[in-house]
Amino acid sequence: MILAIETSCDDTCAAVVTDDGEPRSNVISSQGVHDRYGGVVPEVAARHHVALINDVVDDALRTADATLDDVTVVAVTQGPGLVGALLVGVATAKAIALARELPLAPVDHLQGHVAANFLVTDGGPFEPPFLCLVASGGHTFLARVDDHVGYTVLGATLDDAAGEAFDKGARLLGLPYPGGPALERLARDGDPEAFAFPIAAGVPGLDFSFAGLKTALLYKVRDLGEDEAHERRADLAASYQRAIVEALALRVERGLRETGLGRVAIGGGVAANGPLRERLAGLGAELHVPDRTLCTDNAAMIGSAARWVTPLHEFGDLDAYASGERGFG
Amino acid sequence: MILGLDTATPATAVAVLPDDGEPVELRHEPALGERPGHAAQLLPLARRALQAADATFADVRRIGVGVGPGTFTGLRIGVATARGLAQAIGAELAPVSTLAALAYAADGDRAVLAVLDARRGEAFAAAYRAGEQLAKPVAIPPDDLAELLDPALAPWLAVGDGAIRFRDRLEPAAEVPADPSALHRVSALAVCRLAGVARPVDRAALLPDYVRAPDAVPRR
Ligand SMILES: [Zn+2]
Repeated sequence: MILAIETSCDDTCAAVVTDDGEPRSNVISSQGVHDRYGGVVPEVAARHHVALINDVVDDALRTADATLDDVTVVAVTQGPGLVGALLVGVATAKAIALARELPLAPVDHLQGHVAANFLVTDGGPFEPPFLCLVASGGHTFLARVDDHVGYTVLGATLDDAAGEAFDKGARLLGLPYPGGPALERLARDGDPEAFAFPIAAGVPGLDFSFAGLKTALLYKVRDLGEDEAHERRADLAASYQRAIVEALALRVERGLRETGLGRVAIGGGVAANGPLRERLAGLGAELHVPDRTLCTDNAAMIGSAARWVTPLHEFGDLDAYASGERGFG
Repeated sequence: MILGLDTATPATAVAVLPDDGEPVELRHEPALGERPGHAAQLLPLARRALQAADATFADVRRIGVGVGPGTFTGLRIGVATARGLAQAIGAELAPVSTLAALAYAADGDRAVLAVLDARRGEAFAAAYRAGEQLAKPVAIPPDDLAELLDPALAPWLAVGDGAIRFRDRLEPAAEVPADPSALHRVSALAVCRLAGVARPVDRAALLPDYVRAPDAVPRR
């Protein structure tokens, strides 16, 4: 069995995944403390990880009805992410693996989001080839997945991530952090056609851009004035959400056409968004959306990706890597 | 057998103290301008120290870990490593103040001010005499260090990388050994010895002693 650990951002996660890819447990401890800061504070996240991770590991083993004796490999997110946060997971995984004389599988976080689709669940595994959209607060990219070991990025955001666009929009509308779920709730009572927000249609190819959208909302709120903007909050939320969903769907549609693939999977926290799921389901391609807890940051996806990572037997000097850097292939 | 770790300063310090037999001490000091090697060095050093003592992780009965104060990331690597090892092998955990470890190694019946460079214009400091803590760890401006040197307790000895850095604020009220003195470096063997007489704690209680709050301002 694979014991997997993920601490790349603000969720402290551990999971047990069988060698065949079945998640036996998937424990996610959301820190919550960042809400009052209006965003993730790296130092606060790292402090919580160190206090929580061992209990989360115990919980994952207990829920899986397993002990460390049943574990044959330890998997851990090596990056990209917040380095201070990653280091807690990496130090923990290395210590457990070394002391138990187990091999260690370092996993790329983004490959983890892709590999969530390979887990053996009610609706899975969803096998390659497929087009994969990963959209969260930290990353937004569209990739072609041809096998279990990697992916080819077809397009990525040029500025903000889609989840970041949700958070920033929510903040402009006076909604609490994290903004995605709050904005989606508010948007239910609004008219998505009330305002026309940009969907970065001018950005060529399969890249995304959300910075202009955020600015457009800022100007709209200013032009309406405080009272009217407040009164029409739901319309603003619905129209803003529609723009994000359309921007994502437009690239997925283009991607399907360009690759000739008829299958698409989504991952990342934004995959939980109802209107996005509905919109993508209408594209005529076979759509796979893992359970919500497998879309947001979690360790089961890291355990899944680890099945195709050659585990290291010498890993004492393994370090973490931040955004942009890659510690390995 | 006790395993001692300290990653509060740029150095990575490891020691093994067998129940009987010679202790083993290993350390990594980053070269000038190089980043601390905590993440890459700590476990390899621990394994080498155990091998040198003809032991494995399974032989470790207690893990002593320097909980700071010190660099936040370093402290977390030390604490997370100690916690992970304990989780894997069932060893006891004993937190040791990094400043107390510095003072212990400086020893004697003199009053000792242990001082670490806390960056951002501050120093971490605490005072000890014969194993007793006279003043608990604080983060203070270097100019305030002298206030911790109660003349009634003189002669004072000041040690640690902060004592070197802020020598001019400490002398002549305190004696500061020459820069190359080993007394300025945290000894993992001192961590082992203090851990040996400490009461082990529940894992939940083993946390870094950050002293400083994170730099973050809540919204509104
Ligand atoms: Zn993610």
